[in-house]
Amino acid sequence: MTAPLVFENVPLSRIRRSTIGGPAHFPVDTEGHFSLTVLPHQTVAATGDETSGVDLLGGLALGLDRVPEGRVLVLGTDLAALNRLEQLAFRRKVGYLPAGDGLMQNLSLRDNIRLPLRFGSNFRPREIEGRVDVIVAQLRLTRVADRRPAQANAEERRRAALGRALAFDPDLVILEEPFDGLTEKAAAEMLEFARGGEVPEGGRRTVFITGQDLPALLRHRVDRLIRVRRGRVEVPA
Amino acid sequence: MLGLLTAIGRGTARWLALVGALARFAFEAVASLRTLPGAGRRVAARVLLNQLRFTALQAVGLIALLSGVLSYLTISATLTQLSRVGASEFIGQLMVVVIVRELGPLLTALAVVSRSGTAITAELATNMVMGEVRALEGLGIDPYHYLVLPRLFGSVVSVCTLMVLFDVIAITGGFLAAVAYGGMSGPRYLGIVLANLTTQDVVLTVVKGVLFGLVVGIIPSYQGLSVRHGPTEIPQAVIRGTVGSIAVIFVIAAVIVGVLR
Repeated sequence: MTAPLVFENVPLSRIRRSTIGGPAHFPVDTEGHFSLTVLPHQTVAATGDETSGVDLLGGLALGLDRVPEGRVLVLGTDLAALNRLEQLAFRRKVGYLPAGDGLMQNLSLRDNIRLPLRFGSNFRPREIEGRVDVIVAQLRLTRVADRRPAQANAEERRRAALGRALAFDPDLVILEEPFDGLTEKAAAEMLEFARGGEVPEGGRRTVFITGQDLPALLRHRVDRLIRVRRGRVEVPA
Repeated sequence: MLGLLTAIGRGTARWLALVGALARFAFEAVASLRTLPGAGRRVAARVLLNQLRFTALQAVGLIALLSGVLSYLTISATLTQLSRVGASEFIGQLMVVVIVRELGPLLTALAVVSRSGTAITAELATNMVMGEVRALEGLGIDPYHYLVLPRLFGSVVSVCTLMVLFDVIAITGGFLAAVAYGGMSGPRYLGIVLANLTTQDVVLTVVKGVLFGLVVGIIPSYQGLSVRHGPTEIPQAVIRGTVGSIAVIFVIAAVIVGVLR
């Protein structure tokens, strides 16, 4: 079975922006090449400090940033080989929760969850509403769903961003700093929702988490926890 | 001397790079219309309607004020002088040349730049700083489709309709001034204005509306999406977007006059 996410010899210090919304430069103190394989149904967390390059992995996986050498395979596809429109269409197969949530401030939490479905699917409005209602209820956002992000608290915003990431019910989910500022209980709930339930092989979805640290309660809930240092996976002494 | 030449060369290179980047952005924005998905059209249409409400509908009061006062001042100041030399018939030509053909489009575009151009830059720059644009791309939504196209078309439609409104109110204002100051009858005033209004004037107004609207849609959007490092860049982006739009609008107006002379 194809590994949902593979990084092959990627030099994190030489990444360049390839999209409209990316940062101009990436201050990464790296010297090595990054390689990692995330197997199906696994939940893998990569942690590291600000200059380790760990915060670049999500953008790389989605083709939001460009690698000059090495390659990144997502669901068996090298996004770098696709043109911009193909990349945009492909990203709908992957759930993405960016660092800082990235919710549209002029839309309600419900509309934020609805947006990718309305823009990128051919579902009928009734199907979209049904799917959004289920996500809102599962994430316990019903009471605040009509609030805008600025009127919601950090946990509600993060839940809404996760709901938006899972709107297409993807097989692979990439979460950037998803648990920052959350209680361990809230973080655990978020992780369970991202995994989408259990199957014999592990989680129903493959989950890749990046961030500076992982709450203690979650460390035994992930299948693999790696530490990134200076652009490569740190090998424990 | 060498330093001066270097500075000029560097400035020119920067300016040319900006023109090139703007041209590329404009091309990509317009070309993205071709790839707008069917489902996305409905969402983009709603954003477009919002943009029209903000850019056109909410600007009606300002345009009416500017147009009414400008035409009243122009006609009341000149009609007295024209009457003295027995040339009050020239009032129609004056209205058409000065207000309908030149100042109307220019002032309308400036009003839209000052209201909506600044808002577009600030909004898109905030979208960038808050990571919303990157999130959209991560979700497979093209920022050109969701953010730029509705603003671009909203600006073009708004500037065109507001120009027509400006002209209608200006001619009405001129009518009031002509009756009040020049003792001219209404039908005579309208007859003179209509006799001087050619098809070329109407076509030119539409052409200017489209060009100025494109400027108001493209330059502020480009500057807004150019913000990279943080919120402190937003005011600078707004200034660049506004000043750039005003400068380009004046250059286009001058080029059109030069070409048609």
